[in-house]
Amino acid sequence: MSTTDLAIETRGLTKRFDGVTAIDALDLAVESGEVFGFLGPNGAGKSTTINVLLDFVSPTTGTASMLGLDVQAERKSLHQRIGVVPENYGLYDRLSGRRHVELAVEFKSASDDPDALLDRVGLSPEEASRPAGEYSTGMGQRLALAMALVGSPDLLILDEPTSGLDPNGARELRAIILEENERGATVFFSSHILEQVEAVADRVGILKDGQLAAVDSIEQLSQQLDGGAEVTLHVESEPQRKPTGLPNVRDIEVDDGVVRGTCLEPEAKLTFIDRVRDLATVSDVRIEESSLEEMFASYTTEDTADQDAEPAVAGGVEA
Amino acid sequence: MSVRTVARKDLADAGRSKALWAVTLVVVLFTAGITAMLGMATDQPVGEVFRLAFQLVVLTLPIVGLFLAKGAITGERESGSLRVLLSLPPSRRDILLGKFLGRTALMLVATLVGGVATGLVVVALLGGGFELLGPFILSLGLMGTAFVAIGLGISAVSASDGRATAFAVAVYLVLVVMWDLIEAGLQAGAAELGLVEAGSHPAWLQFIGLLPPNQAAIAAYETAVSGGVFATDPFTSVWLPTLVLLAWLVVPVGAGYLRLRNADIA
Repeated sequence: MSTTDLAIETRGLTKRFDGVTAIDALDLAVESGEVFGFLGPNGAGKSTTINVLLDFVSPTTGTASMLGLDVQAERKSLHQRIGVVPENYGLYDRLSGRRHVELAVEFKSASDDPDALLDRVGLSPEEASRPAGEYSTGMGQRLALAMALVGSPDLLILDEPTSGLDPNGARELRAIILEENERGATVFFSSHILEQVEAVADRVGILKDGQLAAVDSIEQLSQQLDGGAEVTLHVESEPQRKPTGLPNVRDIEVDDGVVRGTCLEPEAKLTFIDRVRDLATVSDVRIEESSLEEMFASYTTEDTADQDAEPAVAGGVEA
Repeated sequence: MSVRTVARKDLADAGRSKALWAVTLVVVLFTAGITAMLGMATDQPVGEVFRLAFQLVVLTLPIVGLFLAKGAITGERESGSLRVLLSLPPSRRDILLGKFLGRTALMLVATLVGGVATGLVVVALLGGGFELLGPFILSLGLMGTAFVAIGLGISAVSASDGRATAFAVAVYLVLVVMWDLIEAGLQAGAAELGLVEAGSHPAWLQFIGLLPPNQAAIAAYETAVSGGVFATDPFTSVWLPTLVLLAWLVVPVGAGYLRLRNADIA
């Protein structure tokens, strides 16, 4: 794949602040036309990565480009073609919502109708006329999104776009993300909340300690973790032997009037239930899917215990 | 294109700031008021009253200039609106220049109102001195813009609005309040070291005395009204102080840009 097919590409991207490494030799590749969810717990380096991509912060080493343009050297032509909702953005308290969108239109030399964009993000004409200083967090978030949509950008970068939105607003945001993607835009958005990403993202990248812990589609990531589904069958009388010949069912146990097994694929669940019913009378079935939350947690928190433990020991020694 | 849009945005936004207009109004009223009292209480010629009014205005107008500009960048940095601007096409240079244009326009409005009000008070009370109004307002306009440039430079290098305010106060104290003392100290120190004769005032010392924009503005005004436009001695000409004032427009903004260019906007 050539560089120009990538909407975002970083190579060996490293940023250190006063000796603290925020991102560590990050190689990130987001393909044109995809919706990419950038996940990770707070402090993993998501914001620093996006700050470097937007040239808010200079990298210590490494390179970053978007739409084939260097994020620093070709910043101006790049920023004509991207739309951004930055994290911790601020609005001009004394300017109206409409004026904000008009500004973005002017800066991008675009021809969008500000009122149409404001309507699209769910701000009424009356709200659009009010100074942004009177906006709630959710209204501000909608306004920021309207500004990002100006000029039909080839790449949308949304940093924690759902913070401050109510569930209804979050749903509308997802709809807009999908519409923009349908139009041909690449969407790159970060979140520390998995469920907001899984609904729309084609692929996700999980960042941990400044490095990519995983990049793949959500289905693939779930399978790699082979969490499977735990199927628990209550039986009236325990079967004499464990069911056999079930390659996709692991850890089969017979115990206390219950037959339990971990099914690695959907069909295995049915086969498992059928085989147990051949052996005993099943009175109840319970299935627990390993959730994406667990998957996310397994990628991002497995070392947390170590991290908690190490400073305690080191601190104890030094003190 | 971007520079102009930033400037117009800034005018619209900062122009609606009540605090900025309140400070401007207080300074203008204070200056025009004291000048009026001066004009009524004295039987001095109109030129002398203008001179005294000028000496007064150069103390007050720098406060307006510094106050107008010191939050131009830090304010947007603290509110996060700088992140919005920088997400759009304008570069840091565009933003700094646009802010300079916008705040200078505000400053010139304030100067024009203040200068014209003060000048008119003198003309009205003493009848005459119209010909002094031009140099009076021109020198003040240039000086006001120089302090906007200094305030903007301060804003560009400061990480927070609080620091920018402290920096601006320190600059006001050094350039406006204490410069005579600093100059006298330098003179005494140089005499002590035997570099100059005690009590003498060599050219380099005169030049140091001319460095602050307020001092340069006084020199520019006085040399202009006393016919120094065609003088050959730099210290009695209007050109040297004008060049000093022009340097104050460029240097602080340039230095501010060098810092802002590499700053992390996190």
